[in-house]
Amino acid sequence: MTATENPATQQASNTYRPSTLQRFLPFVIAAVVPFILGATTNDLNFWWKAAITVAILALVARLAWRWTPRGELTHREDMRLWRTPSDRSWAALTMFGLLVLPFILASDFTPPMDFPWATWFAVVNLVLIFAMGAAAFNLLVGYSGQISLAHVAFLALGSIVGGIVGVQWSGGNMWLALPAAALAGAVVGAISGLPALRLKHLYLLLATFGFHFVMMLVWREYLQEYFGFVGIRFKGVNSPRIASWLHWLPGIDPDENGEFIITGQFRWYWVLMPITVLSILFMVNVIRTREGRAFAAVRDRDVSASLLGINVARSKLMAFALSSAVVAMSGVLASFYIGSRGEDSFNVQTVLNYAIIIVVGGFSSIQGAIFGSAFFWFLPEWFKWAREELWFVRDIDFLSDYPSEIDLAIKGFLVVIILMFKPDGLAGMWRDFKSWLGRRLARNNP
Amino acid sequence: MSDPILSFDDLTVQFGGVRACDSISGSVERGSLFALIGPNGAGKTTLVNAVSGVYKPQPGAQVQFHPVGKSIEDLLAYRPYQVARLGVARTFQNLGLFMGENVLTNLLLGRYIHEHTRLIEGGLFTRRAVKRELAARAAIERVVDLLDLGAFRREQVGDLPYGVQKRVEFGRVLAMEPELLMLDEPMAGMSVDEKQDMIRYIYSAQDELDMTVFLIEHDMGVVMSIADHVMVLDFGQKIAEGTPAEMQRDERVIAAYLGTEVEV
Repeated sequence: MTATENPATQQASNTYRPSTLQRFLPFVIAAVVPFILGATTNDLNFWWKAAITVAILALVARLAWRWTPRGELTHREDMRLWRTPSDRSWAALTMFGLLVLPFILASDFTPPMDFPWATWFAVVNLVLIFAMGAAAFNLLVGYSGQISLAHVAFLALGSIVGGIVGVQWSGGNMWLALPAAALAGAVVGAISGLPALRLKHLYLLLATFGFHFVMMLVWREYLQEYFGFVGIRFKGVNSPRIASWLHWLPGIDPDENGEFIITGQFRWYWVLMPITVLSILFMVNVIRTREGRAFAAVRDRDVSASLLGINVARSKLMAFALSSAVVAMSGVLASFYIGSRGEDSFNVQTVLNYAIIIVVGGFSSIQGAIFGSAFFWFLPEWFKWAREELWFVRDIDFLSDYPSEIDLAIKGFLVVIILMFKPDGLAGMWRDFKSWLGRRLARNNP
Repeated sequence: MSDPILSFDDLTVQFGGVRACDSISGSVERGSLFALIGPNGAGKTTLVNAVSGVYKPQPGAQVQFHPVGKSIEDLLAYRPYQVARLGVARTFQNLGLFMGENVLTNLLLGRYIHEHTRLIEGGLFTRRAVKRELAARAAIERVVDLLDLGAFRREQVGDLPYGVQKRVEFGRVLAMEPELLMLDEPMAGMSVDEKQDMIRYIYSAQDELDMTVFLIEHDMGVVMSIADHVMVLDFGQKIAEGTPAEMQRDERVIAAYLGTEVEV
């Protein structure tokens, strides 16, 4: 059987027509990229700007060319991450947005009503870190069905590895700490997953929560042994920097000491965004290949999974190891980004925060973790702004008197609402919106 | 003549005081269609569970599996996933599908033992991982064609009608390309048309894909028309064994099914 005979197609495809988004995307990019590159304060020279614009355009054109279905979908096309034209348009838009966002946030634009433009950059960076950790957590809890509360323990593990490898050994080498944390996270994660071989559901939750407290003990001992109660400082001399042999890259202009220190939101964004995107892509790829399918099989019916030749114990431990490795990496990033980690950086509240993120975002999808963490960080910021600037909110004393309690109450309330009415969470709403939009566009443009 | 692919001897499974299977012996000829029948609670599914490693039988039992061109394996020494890797696949009476996943994923899971992509390879989506993934998809394409599942490819299994779900599960074990296919009541709850389709599928699995079929079935009519060899269980005991025609005449079998008092 050849691949072309495959009926794996949804649209009968010779009548393929690009969507509105797809048709305009290259124009938007062509118009916006030079403007953005010109508006940034970085003094890139003209040739770099031209080269970047041309490269982006060429990439978009190439993808558009390659991804246009001709005839029926082959297996290779059917396997793509973004299968339908609308998926691809959204993906391209997201990619474009991610590239443009830091330039917009770094500009000196002042929105009306004192909207806190400057703080939003910090929030975006936190969203990136949390999205990575929450996506890994969702892979374990939502996708693989292994209920665990030990993820904050792995954030702490990330900080410990960051402290040992990144601070004590190498004085601010985050690049060394990241793979070390991934390795440590995988090993310790597999060990923390051992109760999953015998326990399920609530019992597993309790066992992993126990692991959380064990790790907290380790963390406290480690802090007291080497750093005292002040905690570890990942800032200043310990800030990560770009190695000198990479200083030829565009946009990297070393300071007077000949160093390029990663500090400030803009530079951090370009560190955090690629790492987050790549690690999420890694997890998505795992899900759509052999071992990831086995995770789902073990989640749904473990007896039947084992009769397909899946070693259930091994599969569960791998899910724990993968998730923990990524969470530990996000722990390293968080430590270096936030700059200091102390005794109370990892409390039970953080555990709950991650749970809120994945429930609100959507339990069943990696995408949900991204939505959830965006929601988790943007809501308080927006609420703070609303309390200060919107007259109808400002006048309610009650809201200003108990800001953080009300934050928490809103989040708790939303968790209940979402669990009751929309178990797919924000990711589900987004899916619904996309299909609604697709239907609308199809109606206007038959 | 005698070239058994599977033989079991003195197989006893006990749950507390209940003997679900009481020292049952028998063998399945290579390439044949072996049917195991019996009334409710006769121990049919328990026997299959013991063979595939889900239940541990009492000591003294022997289950030997002889794959083509390989040495004889004692299945009791293996765990269920290892039994599956040796080439024994089975379906479940009450469906062993992964309801949250789509048909494609369910079928691809049948290729798990034949693919060899590791976690990190898959995550990096290396060229080799892609190649293996494509090979797996090409392999299940045969099954999709055989079972007419093309229309349901992207549907979530939990949303499909029961008859189609049964077909998906059958397709999944076919994708495993086992040497011995154990089907636990593949026609339970089906309409007459669906039953006939399923019989056709089983025949083509046996002929085209060269598998030995071990069938548990309730429906005497079906068994009599398709089986080469029949074993009858009742209350955990083997009461008769032979060709379908012999079984139809056997008084103990008639008694087990109709409840007549017969002296054994």
